Amino acid sequence: MDGIIESITQFANQEPAIFALIIGIIGAAIIAGVVNVGAMLLIWGERKVLGDFAARFGPNRVGGRWGILQLGADAIKLFTKEDIIPAEADKGVYVWAPIVASMATMLVAAAIPFGALHINGQDYPLVVANMDISAFYVEAALSIMSIAVFMAGYSSNNKYSMLGAFRGMARMIAYEVPMGVCVISVAIMAHSLNLVEIAQNQTLWYAFAQPLGFVIFVIALITDLGRIPFDQSEGEEEIISGYNTEYSGIRWGLLYFQEYNNALLGSILLTLLFLGGWQGPIIPIPLLDIISPLIWMLMKMIIVLWFFIWVRSSLVRLRIDQVTDLGWKWMLPLSIVNLGWAVLVGSYFA
Amino acid sequence: MAGEPMAVDYYIPLIIFLIIGAIVPIAALAAVKVIAPLRSSRRKVSIYEGGLIPVRDAMVQYSVQYYLFAIAFVIFDVEVLFLYPWIYVYASEAMNQFMVFGSMNIAVFEMLLFIIVLLVGLVYAIKKEALRWV
Repeated sequence: MDGIIESITQFANQEPAIFALIIGIIGAAIIAGVVNVGAMLLIWGERKVLGDFAARFGPNRVGGRWGILQLGADAIKLFTKEDIIPAEADKGVYVWAPIVASMATMLVAAAIPFGALHINGQDYPLVVANMDISAFYVEAALSIMSIAVFMAGYSSNNKYSMLGAFRGMARMIAYEVPMGVCVISVAIMAHSLNLVEIAQNQTLWYAFAQPLGFVIFVIALITDLGRIPFDQSEGEEEIISGYNTEYSGIRWGLLYFQEYNNALLGSILLTLLFLGGWQGPIIPIPLLDIISPLIWMLMKMIIVLWFFIWVRSSLVRLRIDQVTDLGWKWMLPLSIVNLGWAVLVGSYFA
Repeated sequence: MAGEPMAVDYYIPLIIFLIIGAIVPIAALAAVKVIAPLRSSRRKVSIYEGGLIPVRDAMVQYSVQYYLFAIAFVIFDVEVLFLYPWIYVYASEAMNQFMVFGSMNIAVFEMLLFIIVLLVGLVYAIKKEALRWV
């Protein structure tokens, strides 16, 4: 084991560009698979948990344990539905919107550490592009999704889609700034913008070190992911389905899928920034101790995702003016207060 | 640090991820092109508008009422952009030589001034009802 790690490190130092290329190809293949399968499981899990919250079964008709074959049935349905592009839509932009959404998700996935392997008392983070500024980069890449949403809404040439797209933009600009300030507060405490270092520097979880920032970041993240109560861009009761009204079949499926991919990556980001990342006691069993950081990461992620679903089943959609009021008049000043708190704690008590 | 990959190397995997991110949906669309039936009709490809025939285009000259939010967003987003490099200044040990008011780091002091000016601007905008949804 030691020999392998040593030779890999040596190779990485000698040929950094080729090493990055190899890591990129292997990582892209693995991560594309893991994230997509994870998103499918998340779709099924969300329906199941929502069913529990509403005291009903959720998907159980197709078969399999807990109705898990529903995923296969949905995939077959999406792939065999007729592919319709509205005649009056702006075809180029319409076709590219789901592809841009998918590219944005993969860009986020490239820089997010998915966990770590614990070998010989040392944590080796599982991250493809370990940049110095990955927190900044991930936050920037997460917001590309709202461009895809706007592309979809604008190109559909449908009034409801248009309204949804404009609401999506209003929502995005109300929450991007508080979210950025929260990421900065975390970086101040960790003295780094590297997600790996942020996760490793958390002796005390930042959720406890800066509770205000944690609450603001959770709200901003739910908004960024476009989940209830902040899914104004697709309010079913008012604007049909919002930005994806004109999308059907696989094109709709791709857009829908990216939302869940983003939710998955968002839960990882929240875990890394505020919940200690993959840190946790090492399980003292051979082989299990190697993947024990991964297990902790997965457990924290599942709790975060379950919390998102809980929020979704408990709250109603806010009006768009309430959303912008909350963002500009409460969360922006409070996030700056939290920044001051982080500076104070970071420089005088740390 | 010696032996550490150059900054540009981190960004090589991003290109691969970008390509994979484009290939996956394009492959799905291509598969649908082969598998799914295609019987198009004039009604099928029309825009949905409550079941009626759509009245005029949706892509019109549209007055975005919340443009004041957008202007405020540009200002505050630039503020956030200035804060990111500031983290590195703040975190560097060299800054500990420059203290104001006894033990306050000069980087903290300057950023405090910057943020206070912006907060005054935010309060002004809220009081002027510029950030009111119309």
